[in-house]
Amino acid sequence: MTTLNSLETGQIAVIHSLTGDKRFISRATAMGFTPDTPVTMMQNAGGGPILVYLRDTQVAMARKEAAKVQVERSAK
Amino acid sequence: MTVQASSLTDQSGFTIALAGQPNTGKTTVFNQLTGARQHVGNWPGKTVEQKTGSFTHEGTTYRVVDLPGTYSLTANSLEEMISRDFIIDETPDVVVVLVDAAQLERTMYLLAEVLPLPSPVIVALNMMDIAEQEGRSINVATLQEKIGVPIVPMVAAYKEGITTLIETIQDCIKYKELDSSPILPLVGETERNLLAQIKDLIPADTTLSTDWVALKLLEGDSDVLQQIQASLPAERWRALEKILNQHEDGFLAVADARYNWIQQVTRGAVSKSAESAAEVRRGKFDRIATHPIWGIPLAILIMIAAFATAMIIVMPVFPLLSGGGLNVLINATRTALEGAPPWFVSMLADGLIPGVGMGAAFLLFLFAMFLVIGFVEDIGYLARAAFVGDRFMSRLGLHGKSFLPMLTSLGCNVAGVLGSRVVDTWQQRMMTMVMAPIVPCLAVWGVVGFFATIFFGTSAPLVTVALLITLSIWLMFTGLLFKRFIIKDEPVGLLMELPPYHKPNWKTIWRFTWGHTKAFIVRGMTLVAGASMVIWALSYLPHGDIETSILGTLGRFIEPVGAVIGLDWRLMVALLASMASKEASLATLGVLYGLSSGVGTNSLTGLIFGAEAIEHTVIATAIHTSVSPASALAFVFAAFFSVPCLGTIGAIYSESKSWKWTLGATTYYTFAALFAGFLAYQVGSLFL
Ligand SMILES: Nc1nc2c(ncn2[C@@H]2O[C@H](COP(=O)(O)OP(=O)(O)O)[C@@H](O)[C@H]2O)c(=O)[nH]1
Ligand SMILES: [Mg+2]
Repeated sequence: MTTLNSLETGQIAVIHSLTGDKRFISRATAMGFTPDTPVTMMQNAGGGPILVYLRDTQVAMARKEAAKVQVERSAK
Repeated sequence: MTVQASSLTDQSGFTIALAGQPNTGKTTVFNQLTGARQHVGNWPGKTVEQKTGSFTHEGTTYRVVDLPGTYSLTANSLEEMISRDFIIDETPDVVVVLVDAAQLERTMYLLAEVLPLPSPVIVALNMMDIAEQEGRSINVATLQEKIGVPIVPMVAAYKEGITTLIETIQDCIKYKELDSSPILPLVGETERNLLAQIKDLIPADTTLSTDWVALKLLEGDSDVLQQIQASLPAERWRALEKILNQHEDGFLAVADARYNWIQQVTRGAVSKSAESAAEVRRGKFDRIATHPIWGIPLAILIMIAAFATAMIIVMPVFPLLSGGGLNVLINATRTALEGAPPWFVSMLADGLIPGVGMGAAFLLFLFAMFLVIGFVEDIGYLARAAFVGDRFMSRLGLHGKSFLPMLTSLGCNVAGVLGSRVVDTWQQRMMTMVMAPIVPCLAVWGVVGFFATIFFGTSAPLVTVALLITLSIWLMFTGLLFKRFIIKDEPVGLLMELPPYHKPNWKTIWRFTWGHTKAFIVRGMTLVAGASMVIWALSYLPHGDIETSILGTLGRFIEPVGAVIGLDWRLMVALLASMASKEASLATLGVLYGLSSGVGTNSLTGLIFGAEAIEHTVIATAIHTSVSPASALAFVFAAFFSVPCLGTIGAIYSESKSWKWTLGATTYYTFAALFAGFLAYQVGSLFL
């Protein structure tokens, strides 16, 4: 188990849970971040936000927020 | 629930609401339904744009209300509240929910939230072409059967499906039973029992379904919680609260249930090819556009290209409007009005015409800027710039989407303010709108650079550095002020969809461009004209020259205040002139120091807009001898932070449509200017 922001570019994982305040959880959920959803790390570089792909959508997420998403790395 | 639609449903006829997540094609569909019959205003009492329009089909007129594009209907943002309250309070005759066929699961989330609300729903399944290209096939009949409401497949960009949509709307209203069987998003067994318990405790409201209220309570929706608490006897509320507290994870359960429902209804109706669309969507250009290093110069290059394009469009016309052509018009006015009272002639020739003329010249430039911003937004690049700019913007408390407007502002504050339009939430938008003019535009650098060079010669770069440091502090301070007093919610980090690139839709771009230019003509120019007249009156009355005018008198009257800042009355008046336009402060100083009689011009507006040609070197030597270095520094700082120009104020009004914000921002800049002047003077007095 790890957090979304620690995935490397190209890695695939499955969302396990979301932590943080209700506002974040509700915003993230509406964007498709729910438990059991597969997510692909598209870009994790530099100090800026990360870029992931889930539910047919490219989503940018601030690094701080990505640390609130627990994921289970899946073997490629 | 508080938001009312401006008398929309009071009139007879039918009301259609358009809902949908961002980038699903809502604007495109709205434009195609309503054509030119659109009205843009604000939601009553809010600084959120409300677009309404209408169309007629077989003799019946339908009003269309474009709801703000949001990802969900929880009480997360003002936009979400507006959409939700509109559907609940105004119960539109039909709600059309747009869904993106290429991103079906996610975009259906909003549909899952709208379905339990009281209005009948039609699903517009848009972007069918992209779905097809990506090898997704959707069996519309199966999907329709499973969801239980009419579904219209569409390719809105090519007008496919619009007619069917209109017919479906008509049928839906005519034969009410058509839409009566939406299969509501299911919730698991445990939640169902829980919901039943909650339902027992809440009052049977007349308009809202208790199902929906119970769901929202379980979700922990603060708005619904408050209302229920207010309407329940204390004892019952405590019982309810107890249940809810035991199920704090209710939110995730409900969200999960919605996605489960989505999966259930799409299963068997949608088949996806095995190929991952992720890599297909992320092409070479996107890799550069989102690159942590290369993305920044690309964004800057695109903005420079935007300015260059705007200038190329404006260049041939500009000289006609400003300077030459305007002077011809002014002289013609003077000749034509020979014999009329001199104040009247001056009001037109020195006040109104130069003011409006300058604004008109501006308008073309803005038009071109809108064209570029509209283009960049339509093709989907904007989100990429936001992505790479977020690092810098978040330090100021701004959203990544503020990056392009703030960059634009470096060229021209008016364009920056108008560009804040692209920011999604009203809080961030207002913040961008207020902060964009603090960024110095090219004209500010021109004037400030000129003064700094006259007074400080080789030390001018030092002054520039001091200005830049003060600027960063001031921007951050403003960000903090917003956080403390205006933005009530916790700051949230970037969470943004990067939509797929689209071919430009020129109709949408044109509508964007023209709509905003028109808004600026109506609101912005009116303000510019009005303000020009006021400034003219202040600097002309009662005797027809600036020294003895109200303004001059006022300048001398507040000289004691000016003394603290180190500005004598002439510099104070020049500072005021710089608020109308930065270039004007030079001309004004020229007159006030007796260097130019202001040939044929004896009021401030004449100087501001009349493009008086005064030798800069003459001003330089004259001012140099009569102003102390500390005062000069104070003036440079004050001018740097003061209201950028009348056009900017007009732009703030045009975009916010709110006097409160316009006047508030103006006061804020003025205070900032005086304070910066004061600081500079005090520090300057110590060292210079
Ligand atoms: N390929 C394709 N593009 C579309 C379709 N509908 C809209 N677009 C484009 O998608 C982009 C977003 O559309 P817009 O109407 O601005 O979406 P909104 O954010 O929901 O208002 C624009 O570039 C449109 O031209 C469609 O059916 N097919
Ligand atoms: Mg739109």
